[in-house]
Amino acid sequence: MAKKKGSALREIMNEKCELQMTPMIDVTFLLLIFFMCTLKFKVLEGKLGAYLPKDVGVNTSQAEPVEKVDIRLDVLQPGTKMRQTRDGLVPYTDEDIAANRRFVYSPGTRKIRYTVGTKRTTELPEVVKSLKAFIKADPEKKATIDPRTDINNLDVVLVLDAAMDAGYTDITFKGSFER
Amino acid sequence: MNLAKHDSETDMEMDMTPMIDVVFLLIIFFMIITDMTQQDLEDVDLPVAEHAQPDKPDPKEWRPVINVPHDGTMIIKKKTYFDPDVNLGPEKWNDLDKWLKFAADNMEKAPIAPGSNVNVPDEPVLIRADQVTPFKYVQYIMERCGQDGTQIWKLQLAVSTPDTNEGGE
Repeated sequence: MAKKKGSALREIMNEKCELQMTPMIDVTFLLLIFFMCTLKFKVLEGKLGAYLPKDVGVNTSQAEPVEKVDIRLDVLQPGTKMRQTRDGLVPYTDEDIAANRRFVYSPGTRKIRYTVGTKRTTELPEVVKSLKAFIKADPEKKATIDPRTDINNLDVVLVLDAAMDAGYTDITFKGSFER
Repeated sequence: MNLAKHDSETDMEMDMTPMIDVVFLLIIFFMIITDMTQQDLEDVDLPVAEHAQPDKPDPKEWRPVINVPHDGTMIIKKKTYFDPDVNLGPEKWNDLDKWLKFAADNMEKAPIAPGSNVNVPDEPVLIRADQVTPFKYVQYIMERCGQDGTQIWKLQLAVSTPDTNEGGE
């Protein structure tokens, strides 16, 4: 009996003590797959700063009116109608019209009229030139962008960029919001 | 010739340690390069601007970001706060107004004018609008930002820089 007990104990002691690795490897692989799937490479973006009239909705400040260069944007030609898909812009077809799908205007086919002060132009370099003339006369000059009906984000960003190129740092948006 | 005999009792075990090491290294690599701040950013085609400041947000700091894809929906942290097809009627801005109020409350404040005791939020809201998004949707956000009680007056329009575009964005 004692012999039997001793041999059983020896057997237990001789048994290898192993850590069960399989679940850990499973979880590790799952984590790896998760990170690989959610991976989105960081794309460095830029930002253009702009301001709103500071005292909107407050009415407590008695700010002196500051003369600003007004840059008005009007659409002369809205451009070709396109439909946004996952693969980019595609032509807006009769089928899209029938289905009442949303459309956007192709950026390259648009014609915008810029009114800087009293000068009207359809060319962005002309806008920069006019804005530079204003800031040369008064380095503290501020600019206001006044986008009208059917103007899209690209049109405004191009003007904002042009104003920054001309040396303006304080650019606000006009409060005449489209209804 | 004495060839090694296969002993059926010998355990044939693969050494897993190098594999686990490599897998852990891969996980650490992916954890480091995965930037959670990018989760706020929807897939929109940003307009290109040459004179933009590079956008390098501090991952530790919260910042308000509103995405406006081409259809005019306003998406914040994957949640739609305004959809021009769905949100109609006088209460259509309620969700966005609440969020903007929350954002304004969490911003640092500064006097509206030197010497004034009226404080307004002094941090910007980043608007990420697609290049073909009608600007009226951005203007709507501006209008909501300027509301009494919110008074956010600093804005940033997200753009892509020419370098980013060359990289085959």
